[in-house]
Amino acid sequence: MSEPVIRMENIVKTYYEGKPNELEILHGISLAVNEGEFISIVGESGSGKSTLMNIIGVLDRQTAGTYYLEGYDVNRMTDEVRSAVRNERIGFVFQNFNLLPRANALKNVMIPLMYSEHKRKDQKERAMEMLAMVGMEERADHRPNELSGGQKQRVAIARAMINNPAIILADEPTGALDSKTGHMVMDLFHKLHEEQGKTIVLITHSQELASETQRIVTLLDGEIVSDKGGER
Amino acid sequence: MLWENIKEAVTSIKSNKMRSLLTMLGIIIGISSVIIITTIGGSIQSTLTATLNSLGGNTVSAYVQARYPETDEEWATWVYPDMKDSDYVSQEMIDGLIAAYPDEVAGVAAQNSLCYGTITDEKNADNYANVNVGGITPEYLNYMKLEMHAGRSLTSEDNQTQKRVCVVADTMAARYFDGKDPIGEQISVVATDGGIYDFVIVGVYEYNQALFGRVDPTVPEKDRSTQMMIPYQTCAKLSGSDQTGYDYFNLLLTPLADVEQATLHIQEYFDEIYANNENFYIYSYNMQSDMGMINTVLNVITVAVSGIAAISLIVGGVGVMNIMLVSITERTREIGVRMALGAKRKIIKLQFVIEAIVLCLIGGIIGILIGVGVGALLGAVAGFIIQNVYAEYSSYIILSVHPSAQAIMLSLFFSMLTGVFFGYYPANKASKLEVIDALRYE
Repeated sequence: MSEPVIRMENIVKTYYEGKPNELEILHGISLAVNEGEFISIVGESGSGKSTLMNIIGVLDRQTAGTYYLEGYDVNRMTDEVRSAVRNERIGFVFQNFNLLPRANALKNVMIPLMYSEHKRKDQKERAMEMLAMVGMEERADHRPNELSGGQKQRVAIARAMINNPAIILADEPTGALDSKTGHMVMDLFHKLHEEQGKTIVLITHSQELASETQRIVTLLDGEIVSDKGGER
Repeated sequence: MLWENIKEAVTSIKSNKMRSLLTMLGIIIGISSVIIITTIGGSIQSTLTATLNSLGGNTVSAYVQARYPETDEEWATWVYPDMKDSDYVSQEMIDGLIAAYPDEVAGVAAQNSLCYGTITDEKNADNYANVNVGGITPEYLNYMKLEMHAGRSLTSEDNQTQKRVCVVADTMAARYFDGKDPIGEQISVVATDGGIYDFVIVGVYEYNQALFGRVDPTVPEKDRSTQMMIPYQTCAKLSGSDQTGYDYFNLLLTPLADVEQATLHIQEYFDEIYANNENFYIYSYNMQSDMGMINTVLNVITVAVSGIAAISLIVGGVGVMNIMLVSITERTREIGVRMALGAKRKIIKLQFVIEAIVLCLIGGIIGILIGVGVGALLGAVAGFIIQNVYAEYSSYIILSVHPSAQAIMLSLFFSMLTGVFFGYYPANKASKLEVIDALRYE
């Protein structure tokens, strides 16, 4: 069996380490996600799912345990390499979109290219291609404040996809959307998964949304309490 | 990347126009003050230089100077020595100087005076002219930049043979002779002391008030004296002194002569001649050495005042730093997003340093434009004042107003430096943010 995209072994995360208010959020999480999987991590607020997401996304460091991303030990990476990994191997989709307000849709999609070490000449074409994939090519010159929530999230997905990452990490991607646009966004994830075989990790508190995925990992008080297949 | 950063910076500055402008104000004031001050200083210098050079920059002045005693005891009993004939500079010495340095010295311009007097028309007592009769060497008209209007100038021969000839002002000739050709006319000057001197007019020069000092406006134009020039030696003979040497004179240099070098040669020449003279020596100087001192003083003043003005740059820089810190706090989320999307710390730092530089540079450029504009305006005002208030001198003042290119380059450099210096701390602070904290910042 080939190396999983994500392999976590006994991940522990403790806040305020060594202080009186020391708080352990994750109590030894072990998780493996294979290439092409569409997995959801579900849990109530306070269950530690956001903390886990931050570690998966190389935004935060675990206190203990090992995390291999595509076979590489993330803990041994320098700050610069972690930046490069976030830039090229992980595509982030945030609940609040996190688009830059002063840049138009096209510019927002191009940001990861700007920070990439691998310069490409067809930056604009590539970004337009991504916008077309999410059906936003006609809004390329619109700024975020001229877009609806659903449109913003589609731009964000185009941005996440532009460097062809190993995984798409979506943190409550429909949380700020009404159910109809939420479904449209979910459909887009399914499309990426089915047509392009993307590995997608969806973090949500909604069982309903999670049930759409292949595999549901349920988190409770910093521990995985169940790991089972979804309805699809 | 750099270009992207600059574009980002411009976008960011434009998105907060009012705030950016207010931030830049310190820089704008600092830079424009420096430019204005250096423009004024430089323009005074170049105007003085150009004007003085046009008036006599190519001459060396010299005079007979008494040797002062060196000790206090000698001072106590010292009296200014009388000048003997041999103490004066003779025409032979001048000729010897010209022979010694033919490439440098062209001639001597000296003047002596005979009298104030009046010439009166025998047929019409109401027609008279007041004149100031003085002797000149042939080169004097050239030295004074006086142009001949008609007839001929005075020559060496006139001088040597002590001819009774004169040149008169065109204004006087036009009035007194009333259109008749004055050349060849015999005139008789009745001096204020009673002496009567006859001369033949050989030439008419173009009168220029600026060269002879301001006129007394209470005196009617008809009564104003004009200069009537006769040969130097003629004047010496008529005044009864028989002194044909010079005690104060100007040496005209050839157009290509190095003024400083020529002054040195002239001084050496006369030092040798006067080496054995116990009482006197020749002191020579040129306007350029005077200018050198004026320039030094002006430079010191300009640099000092510019330095004070530059202090406002520091104030401006602190303003930039302050606003950059505010901007970074406001944009913590943005920094977090950029980091999450792969921006390295050094890229974040670069972005904010560039933003500070661009901010300062725009301020600097606006400051330079204002400075150059105000400088030009001041130049125009100065020109207007000269034209209207000092009209009689206006044709002799060569106004040269120009901003200092050096100051402009330096200002650009310093505004950039201000950006780097005051932008670094906030930018460094931004780059030290933890991605997860920045991303979750509310």
